[in-house]
Amino acid sequence: MSLMKRSIAEVVGTFMLVYFGAGSAAITLMISKGSSPPNPFNIGIGSLGGLGDWFAIGMAFAIAIAASIYTLGRISGAHLNPAVTIALWATKRFPTRDVVPYILAQLVGASLASFLFAASVGMDAVTVGGLGATAPFPGIGYWQAVLAEAIGTFLLMLTIMGIAVDERAPPGFAGLIIGLVVGGIITTTGNIAGSSLNPARTFGPYLGDYVLAGNSLWQFFPIYIIGPIAGAVIAAFLYDYLSGE
Amino acid sequence: MKCYLCALDKKDTEAVAICIVCGMGVCMDHLVREELDVWEGGYPFPSRKLKRKLPRILCKPCYAAYHEG
Repeated sequence: MSLMKRSIAEVVGTFMLVYFGAGSAAITLMISKGSSPPNPFNIGIGSLGGLGDWFAIGMAFAIAIAASIYTLGRISGAHLNPAVTIALWATKRFPTRDVVPYILAQLVGASLASFLFAASVGMDAVTVGGLGATAPFPGIGYWQAVLAEAIGTFLLMLTIMGIAVDERAPPGFAGLIIGLVVGGIITTTGNIAGSSLNPARTFGPYLGDYVLAGNSLWQFFPIYIIGPIAGAVIAAFLYDYLSGE
Repeated sequence: MKCYLCALDKKDTEAVAICIVCGMGVCMDHLVREELDVWEGGYPFPSRKLKRKLPRILCKPCYAAYHEG
């Protein structure tokens, strides 16, 4: 498969992830607009259905990820996430020459998704929903957010290693399990720093918010680079160590 | 082993292969040999088509049934 086709597959897969996943967070904020959150830790996601709001967002991500893996996994590998690409490269499973094109494709797909989500919904998606951008929640410090993102991505990458990379894994379950794991991580840690687990998933909404409304969240972007990449790389090396002879 | 399909026509022909689906012995006139692509890998790695193909021999009735469906 040519690099061009694989890159297009990464664009499409990351597009689906951000349009449906991050989009569901934006829609939740729009639906809850005007409600009275019970405390400052609640910014609107959770004011209607408690943790159920996060579960719904997690399931939107889960379905988009499972669909992308089952449809595009054979073409590009459906990484959809620079942290996954870098972790596979770091453990010598992915060629160096393909790393930058994959990451660029993921950033393009995420950005397209954010702009087209705004086009689909209107400016409230940006001004109220923030296009589903991630940021530390009230009371959460910068490095706490990095830690939460690293631990979340650690579990995601560990699951990818066990259910997909390891040749002993049962075939056919990867898309379903990985999608559900992301959904579970978002449900439990979404209210810490948004549970991005993915630099591209944060990049798209940040770019959309900045270009369409002038809202800059870029000061938080290092959280979503450092945390996910550190978590994914540690998980990949740890799995190799644990599963080795 | 004799060709089953020839035997139905009261002909006595040596079989040269066995259909991988139904198991009947077939002569050169009653077999179809295909070469199938073999793919390796998959999520989270791109699949890649291997250079060597996988040969497969079917009798003509099985070949027709397979391609009809």
